[in-house]
This record gives sequence, C-alpha cells and structure tokens, in this order.
Amino acid sequence: MATIEFRNVTRIFRQSEQNIVALQDVNLQVQDQEFVAIVGPSGCGKTTCLRMAAGLEKPSSGQVLVDGQEVRGPGTDRAVVFQQFALFPWKTVWENIEFGLISLKVPVNERNKRIEQYISLMGLEGYEGAYPHQLSGGMQQRVAIARAYVLDPKVLLMDEPFGALDAQTRVVMQEELVRLARSHPRTVLFITHAVDEAVYLADRVVVMSRRPGKIREIIDIKQIRDKESWNSLAQIEDVMDQSSFVHLRTHIWKLLREEQGAEAH
Amino acid sequence: MTTTSTNPGWLVAKRLLHAAMAAFGLVFCWWALTSGTGWVSSMRFPAPHETWAAWQQMLWSGYANALWHEHAWRSIRLVFMGFAISSSIGVLLGLAMGASRKVEAIANPVFLFLRPIPPLAWIPLAIVWLGLGDSAKLMVIFVAAFVPSVINSFSGVRQIERPIFEAAAMLNVSGWRMWREVLIPGALPSIFTGLRLSLQASWTTLVAAELVGAIAGLGQILNQGAQDIFPAMILVGMLSVALAGWLMTLVLGAIEVRTMPWRMA
Amino acid sequence: MILQEKLSPQRFWQLTSLGAICFVGLWTAAALAGLTSPQFLPTPWAVLDRFVTLWSEPFAGAVLHEHVLASMRRFFLGFGFAVLVGLPLGLLMAWFQPIDRLITPLFETIRFVAPIAWIPFAALWFGTGIGGPVLIIFMGAFPPVLINTYRGAKFVDKRYLEAASTLGASHWRNISQVLLPAALPSIVSGLRISAGLGWQSLVGAELIVASSGVGYLMVRGQASISTATVMSGMIAIGMIGLILDILIRRLQQVVEARRGL
Repeated sequence: MATIEFRNVTRIFRQSEQNIVALQDVNLQVQDQEFVAIVGPSGCGKTTCLRMAAGLEKPSSGQVLVDGQEVRGPGTDRAVVFQQFALFPWKTVWENIEFGLISLKVPVNERNKRIEQYISLMGLEGYEGAYPHQLSGGMQQRVAIARAYVLDPKVLLMDEPFGALDAQTRVVMQEELVRLARSHPRTVLFITHAVDEAVYLADRVVVMSRRPGKIREIIDIKQIRDKESWNSLAQIEDVMDQSSFVHLRTHIWKLLREEQGAEAH
Repeated sequence: MTTTSTNPGWLVAKRLLHAAMAAFGLVFCWWALTSGTGWVSSMRFPAPHETWAAWQQMLWSGYANALWHEHAWRSIRLVFMGFAISSSIGVLLGLAMGASRKVEAIANPVFLFLRPIPPLAWIPLAIVWLGLGDSAKLMVIFVAAFVPSVINSFSGVRQIERPIFEAAAMLNVSGWRMWREVLIPGALPSIFTGLRLSLQASWTTLVAAELVGAIAGLGQILNQGAQDIFPAMILVGMLSVALAGWLMTLVLGAIEVRTMPWRMA
Repeated sequence: MILQEKLSPQRFWQLTSLGAICFVGLWTAAALAGLTSPQFLPTPWAVLDRFVTLWSEPFAGAVLHEHVLASMRRFFLGFGFAVLVGLPLGLLMAWFQPIDRLITPLFETIRFVAPIAWIPFAALWFGTGIGGPVLIIFMGAFPPVLINTYRGAKFVDKRYLEAASTLGASHWRNISQVLLPAALPSIVSGLRISAGLGWQSLVGAELIVASSGVGYLMVRGQASISTATVMSGMIAIGMIGLILDILIRRLQQVVEARRGL
C-alpha cells in the first residue's frame, strides 16, 4: 500500500537571519493510487511538501510517512519528476532512463525490456541515442517522466513538471499523463500553479494558504468526475467545457485569490 | 552544521582556529615523519629543528656569501625592475593593440611567434648574449612579464562593451579623455590580472635563472644548498621564494584595490 | 574615437605581412651589420638552416628528434601522474568533506612553491634519473588539474545531484556518473593550463638536471655559444607547446559539442 501521510508537519528554515515558516501543522493523507494535486500561491510551501516526501528536505517537526514508514532520505521508491527536467546532459535519452534501473540492480535483459517499453509508451522512438540538448522541452519532460516511471515506484512525485513548457505542449502532456496514470496507476503527488491542470488531472485538489502554509481546503474531484463521466470525453477541451469543471475551477480560483489578495508581503 | 550564532566575528575566529589547527597538524606530521620516527632521513628531507637552525643561520651569519635579507633584496630588486619596465611597455602596447586594429595587425606576427616559447626557454639565449650576470636575468624577466601584460591589456580594452563607447561618443568624449575616462578604467581589471600573471611569471623565471647561475639571490640559496647537500637550507630557500612571491602578490593586490574603488571586493 | 570596425581582409593581411617583414628585416639587418659574429647573432635563415641540420646531425649526444622524444617521454610521465592523481583526488575532495579538510591545507602550502624551486630536492632524491624532471613537471601540472577538477565538481548544479539521489545513486555512481561528467568541461580547461605549465616546468628542469632533451640541447648550445642551436631549441619547444595546446583545445571542443554547450 503506497500511501503518503503528512502528520502535523511544520517546516521552518533560515534566510538572511530570519526564521521563515514555510509550512505550519500540515496534515494530509494520500491514499494508495490516489492522484492528489496541491495548488497555492507562490511561497505557500507546496514544493516543500513534495521535497519532504521525496526525502530531499526534513520537517522541522512532525512526520512525513510513505507506506507507513518515516521518510529518511531520497530513494527510488519515491520517484521525482522535476520542473526543470534535471536530465543528465551528458547521458543519452536511453542512459538517462536507465540510470535508476542500474541503482536497483535490475539485470540487463530486464532493464532493456523496461526501457523499450517506456520509450514507446512516451513516444520517444528514434530518440534513444539523442542528448537532452537536442530535444525540445516537451520531449525532455517525457524522458524525465519515463525515467521516473520505469522504476515502478510506489509513489510518483511531480514538481510543476509542465511549468517550463509552452501552452500547447502542456496540453498534450496533460493528456498523456492522464493516459499513463490510467493504464499504470500509482500514488501521485502533483504540484502545480495551474488550476485547470489540477482539476483535470487529480482525484483531489489540496488548496494551500499563503505563507505560513496551511491547508485551506481539500476538494474532491473524483466524485464529480465519475458522476459527470469526464473520462468518457477524449479531449481536454471537452472536459474543460463541462459546467461542473468550470464550477470547480472557479471555486478554487476564488480561494486562491483570497489567499493572494490578503497578503501584505 | 549547527552554529551558536552567525555573528561575523565568530565566523572569522572559527576560520582562524581551523587554519591554526591545520598548520599545527602539518608541523606535527612533519616532525613525526622526520625526527620523531626517523622514517624520512634528514638526508632526504630536513626535520623542523634543522630547518629552523638553517633559517637562523641564514638570518644572522649568512650563507652562500650573504645574509638572508641581502639575498632576498637582490632577488626582489631584480624582479621588481624587470617587472616594472616590462609590464609598463607591455600594458601600453596591449592598450594600443586593443584600441587600434591596425596596430594589432602589425604587432600580431611577432606575438604569434614569441608566445608559444616559454620564458624559461629564453635563459640559455640570455646567457649567450649577456653572460651570467644580472642583465641576463633582467632580459629573461622582461620576456616573462611582457606577454601576459600585453595579452591582458589587449583583451581588457576589447571586452569593454559597445554601449559604453556609444555613450561616450554621445557625451562628446574623445582623444585623451577617452583614454583616461573610458579605455583605461574599463580595461583596468584585466590589466591587473595581467600584472598578477606577469609578476608570477617574473618570479618563477628569476628563480630558474638563479638556479642556472647566480652569485647571490634567493635562487642561489637553493643552488648552494643543493651543491652542499644541505637539505635544511634547500627548504629554507624554497620557503623564502614562496614567501617573497606571496608578499609581492599581496602588495600588488593592495594597489589593485586602491586603484579601483568602484569594484566590489 | 569609437572602436574601429574590423579591417578588410586585404588590409589585415597587408599590415600583418608588414609586421612580419619588419621583424624579419630588422633581425636580418642587425645580424648582417657586422657588430657581432654570426655565431653570436645569426640571421633568421641561418637559424632555420641549423634547425633543419639538427634533424640529421647529432648535437649534445643525439639528433633533434631524439632529444624531442626524450623530453616528451618525461613530459607525458609527469603530466600523466598529475592527471592520475589530481583528477580522482579532486573528485573525492569535492564529494567527501573530510577529505577536503585534510588535503586543502596541505595543498595550499605546497602550491605556492614554484615548480622550479623543487629542482634541488629533485636532484637530491633522484640524481640524474628520470625521476627528477618528472617530479618538477608533476609539481607544475598537478595544481591546475586538482583545482579545476575540484571546482568543476563542487559547482555542479545541485539539481543533478538531487535527481541522482532520487534515482538511488551510490557514492561511487554519484562521483563517476554525475560529478565527473558534469565537471568535464572544467577539467579539460584545467588540462590545458596544466599541459602548458607542465611543459614549461619541463624546460626549466632540463636546463639544470638533464642529460638529454630539448632543454639540455639549448644548454649545450649556450655553452658552445651557438645561438643558432639555442634558437633551434626554442623553436622546437615553441612548436611542441603549440601542438599540445591545439590538441587539448580540440578535445575541449569535442567535449563541449557533446554537451551542447
């Protein structure tokens, strides 16, 4: 069971002689194979949440648990897709995807099979020997997703993965991610600025307050999605046209506006 | 790392403490390896007390026909003279080459020819032409200091951004003022880099020249120490060379800071 | 006075040729003026002539290319050691802080001693063996390799290290698969500086503690007051230095192209 749990998590860090409270008493539970998106104003600590689940940062107080175990450090069971791709520029597409599999000591034959599988899944055929700088942003992000997914991780952590892409590519990637998440479901924690994206992709959307970050509201999307049968609609535009979608989106926007407008700093 | 405070005074003190500890550790290892355990015989490398004794001898009763400060002065004088003359001419030439493409084209062939030849390679030629005295050493120092000064002054002028020139033209700056207010200050950082390199090259070359043949000078200490098979004196010579070179660099650095108050440290 | 526009190609070649001709001309004139013996100040042609002659006629114990080979052998030994020690050490220092703390003070003290100053100890420890010059070359070539490797590895973008950690990389894989490739441009740049300094140190060493090689050739030329021989040595040294630099620069270009820099 790959659950993520934040228990009374507070995170404070120092910046130029001051204590900054990034998160305060955050409590959140992500169920097995649930897709949860976190949205919020800049600086609300949503990325920090993800980094703590990844093991790249530690909470100042409280606990972050994955699968019931406290997170002690980074690992292949919690694969991360970074905003700026973080592909190794000196490795080819193939070698990048292979990297984590080697850490897992997967034997060569098995490795090759899995890499090929994801190469075709992510539409990267023909680019196996290419270097990241030769690829477009969208392609690079596909490689980043493949690199994470190929590890068959318990948990997938995505930090504004489509933030650096142009609008059209973004839409394509969102559709692909939905396809992938449906065919190979797993627990996902997804950080984004874009409310559309969150409502389209997630089962639940967590709205954070401005700093110090607390959970403002959690909205259950899945219920509405199932009721309104969004899944039967093939294209994003059709889903976003649904009035149920629009209501949800507007609701979240309003929440965010309140959070943003009220800020003095 | 936990710190009791981020008070800058404390940080400096910690730094000094670390440096002192490192220095102490080094000396201790040195002692242990040589006289402490006798692993390294004094014939190969001197023990601390032997070095100290040699140092004392250098200071008070002299070695290789002179006292330490006489040797040091001799070397420093030569370096200073050669460096000063050579760099002045070099900087002027470099500035001229930078400012005028015609001058650059004319002077280029000579440079391309001379540049690959390391300054040390001029020593035999200098000895043929000028004998084993000070003038030969001056010649070699001149050659050593010349090239870095020219190259860096040249690039110093060339890297001044175009908008600055355009602003100067708009403000009707020309002729002598252009040099004084734009070209020279703009190139000054590069010029100083060149001066630093020239100084280092001057020192290295002088020591080498003194090793080949000299009557007095810090290099001569090394020479005599080698001939007498007096390891402690050799070490004293090496340390003196390093010390003198370091001091001269420090002085240059101080001058640099004074002449360019607009730069951040 | 605005910075002049680039010269037209013809103008450029005109002026360049002018400069070259003036240089050669002045030199020849000085040589032929009769103020000194031709041995003392030979004409440029005499020097070239001597240079060519040295290929077939031995001087100071061997022909020119044999001297060159002797020098190159020493250079590559010293340079090779410098890279063999400096590269891994730089990476280890960048990754493991205790190693950094241990080595840095040692390094900083030794670094300020000019390579040449090690000659007396080299002579003491190795006599006239190959160890002497190799030590000097090592002392010259080592610091740039270490410093550039260390800096390149230390300043790796943290995101790559984070990505590697989330992908389960061990210490060894972090160092070999992330630090090393990331630092490669800096390392190659260091190699260029290192080769230059190493080559210079070689020349210096051969002036004093060698019995073969281009430096030694020059010393013997000096002893016989044969300026042409000395200058031939200088030409050979300059050419080799140039070739080394060009080779490494080529390597630099290849590395950068592969990385899309």
